[in-house]
Amino acid sequence: MSGAASHTSRVILAVDDSASMRQMVRFTLESAGYKVVQAVDGVEALDFAKGNAVDLVLTDINMPRMDGITLVRELRGLSTYKFTPMLVLTTESGSDTKQRGKQAGATGWIVKPFSPEQLLSTIARVL
Amino acid sequence: MDLAHLLPNPNDAPETGDTVMVRALDAWTPEQQISRMLELCEAQMESALSESDVAVDALIKSFTGLIEAGQALGSLSEKTPADAGTADLRQQLEALKKQTAAAVVAFQFYDKLTQRLGHVRYSLSALAMFVCDREKSGEREQWRRLFSTLRRLYRTEEERQLFTMMVGGATAEQARDHIQQSTLTLRNSPTGDVEIF
Repeated sequence: MSGAASHTSRVILAVDDSASMRQMVRFTLESAGYKVVQAVDGVEALDFAKGNAVDLVLTDINMPRMDGITLVRELRGLSTYKFTPMLVLTTESGSDTKQRGKQAGATGWIVKPFSPEQLLSTIARVL
Repeated sequence: MDLAHLLPNPNDAPETGDTVMVRALDAWTPEQQISRMLELCEAQMESALSESDVAVDALIKSFTGLIEAGQALGSLSEKTPADAGTADLRQQLEALKKQTAAAVVAFQFYDKLTQRLGHVRYSLSALAMFVCDREKSGEREQWRRLFSTLRRLYRTEEERQLFTMMVGGATAEQARDHIQQSTLTLRNSPTGDVEIF
């Protein structure tokens, strides 16, 4: 609820098909001063990312239309997103899926549920 | 349980009453009854989840309001010259922040619950179709394939562990013990792991 001054210029694209998850991510990031843009799936996120710059992408895996791993791969294919940190936030902890995420170009993997402190410190590490 | 009385008698004259019921009796096979029960379970789950969604939406709206009020108070306290009163207020806001963080973690379990029940619903639907296919359901290899398909559906560690246990022949009591142990672990460490590649 405080400390909102330090990250005001940083934009984070939060992608999740669950409205409640998007809300929890938004609360957490906005309370630390980040600007949050939300997308409901990979297609919406990719459309937004193609026309706008974001500093970090935080994405779920299982979503309709386009999953998170495909989104990461597609974004990594764009010159503007070659070095942008991309974190996966998912309930999946299986090593196979994690490996696929890593190969697609994900920067890190956070297993849900996250604590606000843990999410913020992870973001601070990769930004 | 003897359900033979439910079987239609081929010598009976066509009934003129409740045609839906007549159709249901005409279609009677044990597999169809199992299938119907599985579909009923799936529908009950969907109905309960839809109701819960409405309640959780309302809860999140209230939570949003509380957080926004807390943020407004935080901004106000930062603008107010420091004295004993503002120190106390800041202390209370810090406590509120901790409670909010705990609620953010707890809310995410609803998302996880929805996801897990979605997998159960899919399993029930798949089984409902499978049991009606006598050719398939009579073959051990087809059951193995069904389990293999359903296993891929389960994504969380808890789901996978339970699936492996039950398919491996664990009893309901063993499963309950496992669930109790998992719940205890969860109470001590409710958040997931983080890995930077």
